[in-house]
Order: sequence, then C-alpha cells, then structure tokens
Amino acid sequence: MPDAHRLLMPTPVLAVAYLACAAAIVSAPVAAAAATPTATAATEDGQWRMPSKDYAATRYSGLATINAGNATSLHPVWTFSTGVLGGHEGQPLVVGDTMYVVTPWPNVLYAFDLGKEGYPLRWKYRPDVSANAIGISCCDTVNRGAFYAEGKVIYNLLDGHTVAVDARSGRELWKTQVADLASGETVTMAPLVVKDRVIVGASGGEFGIYGWLKGLDLATGRVVWTARNIGPDAAMLAAPGTFKPPYDGGTDVGATSWANDSWQTGGAPVWGWTSYDPGVDLIYYGTGNPSPYNAEQRLGDNKWSSSVLARRPEDGSLVWAYQFTPHDNWDYDATGAMILADLTIAGKLTKALVHFDKNGFAYTLDRETGRVLSATPFSGMNWAKSVDLATGRPVIDPTKQTGASKGNVKGICPSLEGGVSPSSPAAYSPRTHLFYTSTNNLCMDYAAVHASRLKGTPFVSANSPYFAGPGGYLGTFMAWDAVTGKKVWENKEPFPNWSGALVTGGDVAFYGTLDGWFKSVDARTGKVLSRFKVGSGVVGNPITYRGPDGKQYVAVYAGFGGDWALLSGDTRSDDPADLRAPADFQKDIARHTSQGGIIWIFGL
Amino acid sequence: MRGNLSIARGLGCASSVLAALALAACAPKASTPAAATPGETRTSAPPSGTAPPAIQYEAHVSAGGLPPPGGPLSNPHQGDPAVAKAGSLLFTALNCDGCHGVEGAGWVGPNLGDGRWRYGGADNEIFTSIFYGRPKGMPAFGGALGPEGVWSLVTYLKSLPVPADEATESWEKP
Repeated sequence: MPDAHRLLMPTPVLAVAYLACAAAIVSAPVAAAAATPTATAATEDGQWRMPSKDYAATRYSGLATINAGNATSLHPVWTFSTGVLGGHEGQPLVVGDTMYVVTPWPNVLYAFDLGKEGYPLRWKYRPDVSANAIGISCCDTVNRGAFYAEGKVIYNLLDGHTVAVDARSGRELWKTQVADLASGETVTMAPLVVKDRVIVGASGGEFGIYGWLKGLDLATGRVVWTARNIGPDAAMLAAPGTFKPPYDGGTDVGATSWANDSWQTGGAPVWGWTSYDPGVDLIYYGTGNPSPYNAEQRLGDNKWSSSVLARRPEDGSLVWAYQFTPHDNWDYDATGAMILADLTIAGKLTKALVHFDKNGFAYTLDRETGRVLSATPFSGMNWAKSVDLATGRPVIDPTKQTGASKGNVKGICPSLEGGVSPSSPAAYSPRTHLFYTSTNNLCMDYAAVHASRLKGTPFVSANSPYFAGPGGYLGTFMAWDAVTGKKVWENKEPFPNWSGALVTGGDVAFYGTLDGWFKSVDARTGKVLSRFKVGSGVVGNPITYRGPDGKQYVAVYAGFGGDWALLSGDTRSDDPADLRAPADFQKDIARHTSQGGIIWIFGL
Repeated sequence: MRGNLSIARGLGCASSVLAALALAACAPKASTPAAATPGETRTSAPPSGTAPPAIQYEAHVSAGGLPPPGGPLSNPHQGDPAVAKAGSLLFTALNCDGCHGVEGAGWVGPNLGDGRWRYGGADNEIFTSIFYGRPKGMPAFGGALGPEGVWSLVTYLKSLPVPADEATESWEKP
C-alpha cells in the first residue's frame, strides 16, 4: 500500500470502521428505523482524531456505553480553565491516551494525559501570535480546532500561520505563513489533512479579501497549491474539461459574474468545515459571503461566493461548484459543514452531500456532480420561496433584495446569523438516519450603504438589527430527515443555539446552549436525558471517546462568544473601559452567562 | 459572519472616502492654527519623522509624579459641529463602525460612546489611538487619513452624547 493511501486512512482500525459503515448503509433501507448498527463499539476505535470525527463529517461515534437508558446519570468528571476569554468554538481531539485542545487567540495548544489521575498536562505549546490579528478578525478570536495526522497535531493561528506540532513532544515541526493580516486575512478554521496535503483557507469576508484555499505539504508545510474561490479560471484552478459545474458554466465565470472586476475584493472566505470522499477523491468546502455587504457594489451572481466547491486534494483542481445564494445580499455564508452520507432517495442509493445553509435551506446534493436533489427550508425564511431544481437557482422574493439604493429593507428571515451558524456543525447518525443541528430563530432589517475599502480594515457597510422570528424563542436543536425534508423533532431554546452536534451509537445526541446548559437527549425523540450548567455559554462542539480506562466520556468546551452579536457587550467583564447596554434581541443573556473558556468532561 | 454592526445615518452622503475626506478638508477651520502633522508639533520637534507626536499622558500614572516631557497636541477643531459632521461621515464610509458598531456603540472594537476610554479620552489621546493604532488590533489610520481626517474623527467622537455611567445592571425588580 503506498504511503499516500496509508495517510488517507490514519489507522487500519479507522479504515475498517469506515468500510463497515459504508457497507451497512448500502444494505440498510433508509425507512428501517431500527437498522443494524453501522459502527458498533467493536469497530469504533474510540478516538476523535479529526475535527468532524471522520472524513464524511458525520460527528457520529459508534461508542454505545452511554445510551438513552443511562445518560440520565451523566455527570462532570473533570474540568480545566483554558485561561482564555474568546469564544471557544471547535472541539478537542483525543488520540490514544492524549487529549489535545486549541484555545482561541492566542492559540495555545494543550496536551492532557488522560492516563493519569487529574489528567495533568504532558506539555503546552504557546506560539507567538500577533495581537494585530484581534483587530482583523471580524467576529471573535475563535479557533475551530486541530487535525491529527502522522504523529502531528496541525492547526491554524489567528495571525495567518499553519503549524505542525509533534504530538508526543509538543515541539514545533514546521510553521508556514498562509494568510496576510495586512490584506484583512486571518485563519480560524480547522485544517483538513488528506493524503499528504494540509488544506487551509482564510477568513476575511468582512475585510474584502480575495478568498482562497491552499494545499500544503504535510511533511514540510510548503504551500503546494493555491486556489482562489473567485476570479478567473486560471486563478481558481478551473481547467477546461476538468471543471464541470452542474448548472452555471462559462469561461471565467468567477470573474465575469462580478461587475467592474469587483471579485478582486470580493471576499468568499473559507472559515468553516471541510469533508472528503475517498471514493471519488474530492474535498468539499463552502465559501463565505461576498464583500462588501452593499451588493450594488458587486452586481452579478458573484460566483463562487456563498457556494460549495469540490476539488482534488492533490493539486487543488476544481471539479464542480454550486452556488447556494447567487448575488448574496444578506451575508449568507455557505461555510457550514458538508456532510457526506449515502441515502436512499426515491428508492435509489445516492452518494449525497447534506448541508444546512445560513440562508435557511437544507440542501441534499449529488456529491459526485453537484446537482441539487432537494432544498427544503429548515428554519423561518422569506428571502426565497423555493429552489428550482432544474436550474439550481433560488426563486427569490424581490422585496427582500437589499442594497444602498433600497434603504432599510425590513423583515428578512433568516438574519445574517443564519438559520444555523456555520460555526455549529450538524451530526448524522447512520442508525437513526437523521441529521441533528442547532438552529437560530432570528430575522433582521438590513440597511446597506456604500462601502469604501482601505486594505486591512473592514469592508462592510450595512446595519442589520435582529429580532426574534415567530414563536418567541430564539433557537432550537432539532432532528432532520434529509430524505423526506422534514423535521422529526425539535427542542426550543430561549437563545440562539450555537453549539455543534454529536450523536452516538447509543442513540444519544449532545448539544450545548448559549445560556450555558450542556444537554444529552434521546436521538429518536429529543427528550432531555441530562443537563448541567457548565459555567459559560456553549459555542463549541461536543465529542465522545473511550478513555484509557475503557469507559466512554463526552467532552465539550464552555466559553461564550464566537460572534459579537451574541456576546451582546454586556456579557463581558474584562474591560472596565467598555460599558454596554444589553442587545435588543436578547436582553437578559448576561443574566445567565459571561465569557471564559472551560473544558468539561462528562462520564457515567 | 457578523452581527448588529454599523450605521444607517447619513445614508447616501458618505459616497466615498475621497468625498468624506474632502468634506473634512473643507470644514471651517477653528480659530486656532491647524494641527501640526505628527513629527512637527508646535512646541518641539521629535528626533525623527517616525516618532510619535509629543503628547500629554494625562490619563496615565506618571512614575515619580513626573509626566514625560513634550508639548501639547491640541485639536484645532474642538467642538466644531461641521467638523464633527464630516467625522461622522468618515466614521461610516471607512467602516469604523465595522469594528466599533453603530455610532461607536461597540462591536469587536470597544464602545466609543460610553465615556470610558481604554487609552484615554482626551482629544490628543484619541488622536494618537487613531493615528498610530493601538495594541490588540486597532489599525494605524494616520497614513490613510492624515491629521485632518483623524481630527475630524476625534471631533465627531467627542460630540457623541455620553450616557450616564450605569455601572450597575440589575435583573431584580426594585
């Protein structure tokens, strides 16, 4: 087996789990609710080695010791203060008997020894990360996690570097500058490692960057390829004959769909999640909003902002792209997770890609071609009526179009926080065949004005106050059937729900809330099995693993933040020179939480 | 990804940086002489063109009770409503509100309208913060705006009504 293939599947155990999973999906009809377990405790290696658990980004673990019958007795077994106040998005990794945790800026990497009482640190790595990055990050100083591969822990620094750290010693192996702060670029996403490539992208949709994805060499950190997300074909690594978009073709459409060469400062950042299908050898990632927020400064579709792109990991070549929100007027980034699942749709087993977009539609795509199989609203939304499956385009409501000449456009749903935040990745259980996700129930007004650009400073110019959508609650956690396009159950939450989801072979789903509750629920009914107040709001993503003692644990970060609209100013206690009133749309959030990062581990 | 930022005032007025700068440049001058450019203060000449201007460190504790030497740097447009208006347009056109929020009410950058100041709230201190930037992310705008543009922003920020300092936030009914 060549090295490349070995790298693709980090361990034989994982490879077996993946194959077993795929085989079970193939043989199990979707309608069979009590399908044979796909990844069982026997085939599950019990680790969490990459941000979304597996390349398919399912956030599903086959561990089943904790189940719907005993989860009521879950309780905290360990906590650790990270000493950092920024929003704690992302998730820990567990590799062997070590847990790895990356903090928000200043991006400290902690390695805990899970084999010793009290889980003492093996080491910590404190890189020198520029404080200038704080002012170049639009929304908070977050980090969405690390990736383990070939004995290296690889992650991104807010100031635009990717680092590889020796997983045993904590020594830095390489450090590569990938992004340029002076151009408005920061890096908040977790990397994806496929074969010998480290895939990274930059944030900066609010700074008028020229968005990109890069492939680095795993051994050395050298940048092997750079692919723009917008712009001419050559810059996008879109070659004739290789690039086959399912709907919108044409030479240089990434440039011609932007009036007056506005692609040059058109944003389309990459700050969310990535997935990979080894069967078709494609990586999948979403791009963020086009810049600026005043859409009249960039007339046209603005391809390929607010889109999903499929590329070859080896050389970055673009294979297909699909734009969820053409000419995005509303900051509907498409950087949320692209979950790969084999679903039986209309009686046919389909290699699907399922994505909950900020724009309020849940999409099911054919992941080999990019064609839309279905698009169904999963949250309150009114900017579009439907998606035309023949053209792939949304059927829009013209009264919800925004722009400087349109003044203050009222009552747009969802708000620009999204029907779900891309920071809050969904999970998929091959046992229940359901997807689990947080949602926001927020709408907005949107007043755009002309934006001027100074490189390295914000390029935005829109005011978009939020208000609650119908129902008087601000968020939910729900289970979604992507085959029928129906909500199966939902738990309403008083505040926008901002944590990622986890689901297990014990049919338990886990999530946290903005007011600081961490909950386990029955994956089939949503019934709350346990809850605990974890000290700060949860915007991180729970994981589960088998400890060195053989027991199953669940870990999650508390640490309110991730977007300053959520922070609402009055939740802060760290700056006496900054005194703010509560936000109109969630006046009492500061009654329930304040900032501060804590790692929690729960067990039976 | 971004929330309740920015603006909505002066719609249609702040059409470009240049227009806003021109407004600032055309604003009536105060009776005091125009501010010297940094590096060319009125009372002393710093050793090099890149040195910070001589400023008063009135918000700082001075070791030994001895403030650093240096002359004053004063706002030539202090209290001038026309300059404040031009500054408000600049504040929007340059996306200052992209970090500091609507009318400086705070976003990822600190609230500029609460009467509390991280680096001092005297005109010269605010000037220095904008002109040279500050740690933790405040870019240096002096090169892009020049002293006149920065003074117009200072004059605008100082024109914002400061609310009562409500140190207490309570959820209990009295």
